Amino acid sequence: MRTRIPILIAAAALALVATGAAGALAPSIAVAQNVVIQPGQPGVVVQQVQGAGARPTGAPTAAPSPTPRAEAAASDPRLNPKAPPHLDEIESTGKGTALLFWAFALAAVGGALFVVTRRNLIAAVMGMVGSFLGIAAVYMMLYASFLSVIQMLVYAGAIMVLFVFVIMILNRPEDEPVAPSGRAGQAIGSLAMVYLVFRLGMLLIDVKAPESAMAPPAPTVAIVAVRTPEGACDVARCEAAGGRCSVTGPNQPQLCRVLHEWGTVKSVGTDLFGPGAFPFEAISILLLVAVVGAIAIARPLHEDPKPGADAADAARSEHA
Amino acid sequence: MSIIFNIGYGHFLVLAAVLFLIGVGGVLIRRNALIILMSVELMLNAANMTLLTFSRMWGDISAHTFALIVIAVAAAEAAVGLAIVVAVFRGRRNVDVDRLTTLRH
Repeated sequence: MRTRIPILIAAAALALVATGAAGALAPSIAVAQNVVIQPGQPGVVVQQVQGAGARPTGAPTAAPSPTPRAEAAASDPRLNPKAPPHLDEIESTGKGTALLFWAFALAAVGGALFVVTRRNLIAAVMGMVGSFLGIAAVYMMLYASFLSVIQMLVYAGAIMVLFVFVIMILNRPEDEPVAPSGRAGQAIGSLAMVYLVFRLGMLLIDVKAPESAMAPPAPTVAIVAVRTPEGACDVARCEAAGGRCSVTGPNQPQLCRVLHEWGTVKSVGTDLFGPGAFPFEAISILLLVAVVGAIAIARPLHEDPKPGADAADAARSEHA
Repeated sequence: MSIIFNIGYGHFLVLAAVLFLIGVGGVLIRRNALIILMSVELMLNAANMTLLTFSRMWGDISAHTFALIVIAVAAAEAAVGLAIVVAVFRGRRNVDVDRLTTLRH
């Protein structure tokens, strides 16, 4: 009975994280997808709100007109046509977003601690699932919406099922979970851990972020193909494609960027089947080899020898 | 207060580092092979989060492709690793890595 409690806690945390990820993040992401650049008007961002969340549908504010609706739209910073592209509500700078980040980070770290501290293997797997769901929500905050969904499907779905199956097959309680490897081993392990923490801290201190916290660059996808023969960004073709030429930082080449396509299936797929086509095909071979290898390894070596089989053969396989 | 309410790239990087360290700790201190595999998955996830953070930071979408490939490799690794665990368990009725010393002698 005592061992049920951590499982229940893990399940509750899991449900909390799942509902939070789905309910709290989906509307803001949906709003983000509706910001478009009007072709032919460089520098002017026109935002069209189309059925996103609870907002009234169909309120294009391309040209300010003296109707009350347009005035209301102009007072709303989200609908202001002159607003710069990176000041819309999707930037991760609001307090609500910050609190959500802390909640999901807590879920991820708490689940991970659950994994390494639990004796009960099923409880450890449930902690792992909670951790992965928190990580998926954090991916969503990094505008990696496609990878967030993939994370939920592959990790919280497939790999979790795999682990649960193997635990059910083994079905053995641990007698002594943590390794008592003697004083020397513990000293070496602690030193290695301290060194790792130190190196990671030094690396993180050296990271030079673009100046303001989460604002630049606006969620973009670069289209490298839209270039003049000299290698510069082709302004006319880029704007025809709905983007504009911009740089990400000092000493960076100008690239054609389409706003608010970042991390979607379209942008990831464009990269995956363009420059990433060879790794993608190599992955299919890797998965095939892995599946065949897993079956070959996990298959019993000698199972039910045939009644009429050669006795020496049976003895040899018994020995192996 | 600004470190709490002003979420920047550093927060994501530190979160990834913490997850990675928990994974390393799990590999180092636990003896059950299944827990060690789970900790390895945690480390791979932390690496993915770092990739995605830098991807957003520098506006380069190809890190998303890389993270997708890392996820596929992690799935393959989990399949093979669990198969090895099952095979080991079938032979010796436990999956304690400290008792798997046959190759040492």
